[in-house]
Amino acid sequence: MRFKPVLQATDLLVAALYVCFPASSVALAGTYAFVTNQNSSDVSVLDLESQTEIRRIPVPGKPAGVAVSPVHGSFYTVSPDSKTVHRFSLKTCEEIAHALLPGGPTGIAVAHGLGKVFVADWYNARVFVLDATTLSHVADLATGSAPAGVVVAPKEDWLASAARDADQVSIFDLPSMNLRHRVTVGTRPFGIAIGPDERLHVANVGTHDISVVDPDTGAVVATVPVGKRPYGVGFAQGLAFSTDQYADTITVYSLETLSQLTKIDVGEYPEGIEATRDGSLVVSTNWFSNTVSLIDPATQTVVGEIETGDGPRAFGRFLYSAPEGLEPCRDR
Amino acid sequence: MMFRIFAMFALLLAPAITTLDAQAHGPTRQKVTVTKEIAAPPAEVWARVGNFQDMSWHPAVHSSTGEGDNAIDATRVLTLGEAGGPTISEILYKFSDAKMSYSYRITDVNVEVLPVTNYSSHLTVKPGADGGSLVEWRGAFYRGYPNNDPPEHLNDEAAIKAVTGVYEAGLNALQASFAGN
Repeated sequence: MRFKPVLQATDLLVAALYVCFPASSVALAGTYAFVTNQNSSDVSVLDLESQTEIRRIPVPGKPAGVAVSPVHGSFYTVSPDSKTVHRFSLKTCEEIAHALLPGGPTGIAVAHGLGKVFVADWYNARVFVLDATTLSHVADLATGSAPAGVVVAPKEDWLASAARDADQVSIFDLPSMNLRHRVTVGTRPFGIAIGPDERLHVANVGTHDISVVDPDTGAVVATVPVGKRPYGVGFAQGLAFSTDQYADTITVYSLETLSQLTKIDVGEYPEGIEATRDGSLVVSTNWFSNTVSLIDPATQTVVGEIETGDGPRAFGRFLYSAPEGLEPCRDR
Repeated sequence: MMFRIFAMFALLLAPAITTLDAQAHGPTRQKVTVTKEIAAPPAEVWARVGNFQDMSWHPAVHSSTGEGDNAIDATRVLTLGEAGGPTISEILYKFSDAKMSYSYRITDVNVEVLPVTNYSSHLTVKPGADGGSLVEWRGAFYRGYPNNDPPEHLNDEAAIKAVTGVYEAGLNALQASFAGN
């Protein structure tokens, strides 16, 4: 059998506990980052309020993709070298399940309510659909060549994946998983994100711009030039922030005018990026510098930096707002 | 042996194998940083290495031809070893005299010459101890084989070893050239 889900005990209890607690609304209190360090093969758990690393979790196989799912009490990581998806408990930071996948698993996203995990297969032009609890294999979705980033719409009525070597985004209906659109974007799209406007923002590594796509019509509504080699996009306070890998900058553009506003200097090879749920902070990783940069979206300045393991990628949704009083990795 | 650089024995390889598709790449980007202390002030060291069109300080480089001096998007083609030897084509994407640093990427190289793809690099001169310099050469790249299950000579380890060898050879030669100061 090629797909090998391994389920461990206690996960349902943990999930139930997390669902029952309302989330904290206090700015950065209880906000954590789960940063995949690809070169050192581990995950740094960062407390964004105290700006400290509270835990380093070994994850074999050079993890890059990551997805946090409070609903499932879990965070998921993808190790392309060992072709393995791991599911960890947010509460204990211990592994609950893992699954070996054929090909080149890369980006990952979770449909929390539907209980599905979607993992791009870089080498076989498809997205694996897995059960979010057991990681057992449910289905495959055909995409363009070299799919990387995957996102699920907040209402879980569609998902999308960027296919790097096909210059294309595939959009699928949920829960049916039927193909809705194939959209030609810029050259070599890798990272992909959904803005508060529920439009897709696709980072084109080859043309140094962002394709903004309407998921209903499949039309590219704008192409926004950013810095060299954009990889990820995050959103806060009416703004979008792209990580420009070769420029060592974050480009800020307006979601209203879809035009570039400014650039922020960060560390070397900025990659994964996401804003906290309340939009008070943007967090981005610097792959070469082994740090994350903390950016105030209001002033568009770097307000802090936290050290990580070697080669932080955080390719996916890596931030977690913990229920009040609960710190991840505490209960062992 | 550290000083023996990968490109040198690549010279012995008979007809060039087709360059692999530069678009696709392996699953895990690799990084290498090599730093050397140089017994000369940063300005003097930068005067030696801070010209994108002059790689004569590197023992593996036979000649360099290019366009655009040190402007962004300037290009160079390095010929390795001897006249008619294998080449590496590169493009400049950052250059700062003030920061004594430049960044470039490879636009074309045969993976049998240097077993990497999607290669980018920074060369920086910083102040060192006792008025000397620290030269830092950093590279980010994927292995030479873009698909799953690479052959041994095109895997992650081979890529790291080759790039480390190039940097060590260059910086050791630079160190030696200033050793009498």
